[in-house]
Amino acid sequence: MKSMAYIAGIAIKELLYEKVFYLLIVFVICALGLSVLLGQLTYAEQTKLTIDFMLAGMELSMVLFSVFVGISLFQKELTFGSISMVLSKPIPRTSFLLGKFFGQLIVQLIVIAGMGAITYFSCSRLPEPASLQAIVQASLLISFEVMTLSAITYFFAVNAGSLMTALATLALFFLGHFRSISALQMGKAESNPIWSLAKSMIPSLEIFNMKALASYGYSIPWASVQWAFIYALSATTFYLVLGAVCFSRKDIAT
Amino acid sequence: MAPLNEIISLTGVTKVFRAAGWKKKTAVNDLTLSVASGATLGLLGPNGSGKSTTIKMILGFLRPTKGEILVGGISSDSYRARALIGYLPENPRFQRFLTAESALHYFGHLNGMSGSALKSRSLELLELVNLSHVRRERVSGFSKGMTQRLAIAQSLLNRPPILIFDEPMSGLDPLGRIEIRKLIAEIRRNMPRTTIFFSTHILEDVELLCSHVALMKLGNLQTLSTISELLQNEGQRYQVLIKKPQAQLPDSLQSSQRETPNELGLILSIDGDQGLYDTLSEIRKAGLTILSISSERKSLEQALFSQDDINRVRQLGGAA
Repeated sequence: MKSMAYIAGIAIKELLYEKVFYLLIVFVICALGLSVLLGQLTYAEQTKLTIDFMLAGMELSMVLFSVFVGISLFQKELTFGSISMVLSKPIPRTSFLLGKFFGQLIVQLIVIAGMGAITYFSCSRLPEPASLQAIVQASLLISFEVMTLSAITYFFAVNAGSLMTALATLALFFLGHFRSISALQMGKAESNPIWSLAKSMIPSLEIFNMKALASYGYSIPWASVQWAFIYALSATTFYLVLGAVCFSRKDIAT
Repeated sequence: MAPLNEIISLTGVTKVFRAAGWKKKTAVNDLTLSVASGATLGLLGPNGSGKSTTIKMILGFLRPTKGEILVGGISSDSYRARALIGYLPENPRFQRFLTAESALHYFGHLNGMSGSALKSRSLELLELVNLSHVRRERVSGFSKGMTQRLAIAQSLLNRPPILIFDEPMSGLDPLGRIEIRKLIAEIRRNMPRTTIFFSTHILEDVELLCSHVALMKLGNLQTLSTISELLQNEGQRYQVLIKKPQAQLPDSLQSSQRETPNELGLILSIDGDQGLYDTLSEIRKAGLTILSISSERKSLEQALFSQDDINRVRQLGGAA
């Protein structure tokens, strides 16, 4: 447990060293630019459009962050070779995997909180002020979604190279959002057990999507947020356990 | 369970890698080897002989396809076995943002150390590896030799009973090699009960530092012996320097003549003790003057490799 905390601490330091918080500055510039630009295009829908764009920007940037930072944190150690000195210490391999994951998760949560605050404050001066609760809920749901995606990234990173990990995780991200639609299109295949198994491996990410509601200032019951959290936690645990099992059996030749 | 004095034991260990397609490559084949506590074993062999694979299996990075590896009686599969090992990889790499001191703190924490004990041990080791003056500098600015020394320091943090060094002198300039060699010799002196297991392809390092040597070729163990046993050859050779005779050398001594160092002297190279006695009596009969007699020491190269191997490598070197 202690070793996991130290590895998480080093992962956070590494992300700070890599200047990931510059992402927030980029986001602030984009947010300010967007609110000015949309103000020129529309008057009545300015708040709705700005919130929608900013939440979509937050989700997209955090999805890319979770995938590429996950690959960088984990795979770089494997390819760079620094993993050999870490794993030569008396720590279970699971500690290494989970330490990296939790380090990344903490940074992700801070970045999302920062982005949520920027979204709220940049929209609060618009003609129709944004709903704080709706933005908090939307930000929380985005953080649950990227937590799940990070776990999927680590699962693939244990088993494949950087490119395959990125492609597979992003494919699952898209499938996860269009799961219900793709299921409809499969027709008879729905009864096929292989399809059912494959489908059950794809997390339903659409339950984390409340950007449209938030842009209209609607909030959802907190019970739904709790349910989304439990779902994200289960999916994250599932992928991390799978990843840990594969990692503990993996040959490390670096 | 391994006998008490065996701290590392490999029994019938085989490692097969899947190569391209369905092809398989045997990196280590049925290796049985044990290292006694306190020994310094040099694992020798050319590239691709299975040295690094063997080390990685001992560390639990690779799982043997067949066989069993015990480290201090604990299976190498268990991470607990690593508490007994300090490891220096062939190309040590540290996270670029770490300083020398913070790197040691990080690895110390992973070793279960903490507080003032860890701080003082880190300082002591930085002193030992001569990096205390750069302890607050980032490792990203370190030279290869400095990184190597820092990696040695991290391997010594918890005073492990086993040190595994994978090609510790690889990629270093001659001065760097001397420094690392000195450091290993110092560790040897300060921690006499520590078992050192290191792989190398530099014979000189083995001869200077090791008590035992194992030679691997194409995944198979060729030789396992103490250095003294290897060098104590059955056919001792002698060199007798005689004053160059005015007349021709007697026929019985012609075959022993090897080279003429200068106009005055002549070297006779003789195999074995009996050969020496016979030659001395021939010299006396011929009335020749002996200038010196010396024992010709067999090198590790001669002990480990056949003359054909040595000639082939020399020819390759010449061609290159």
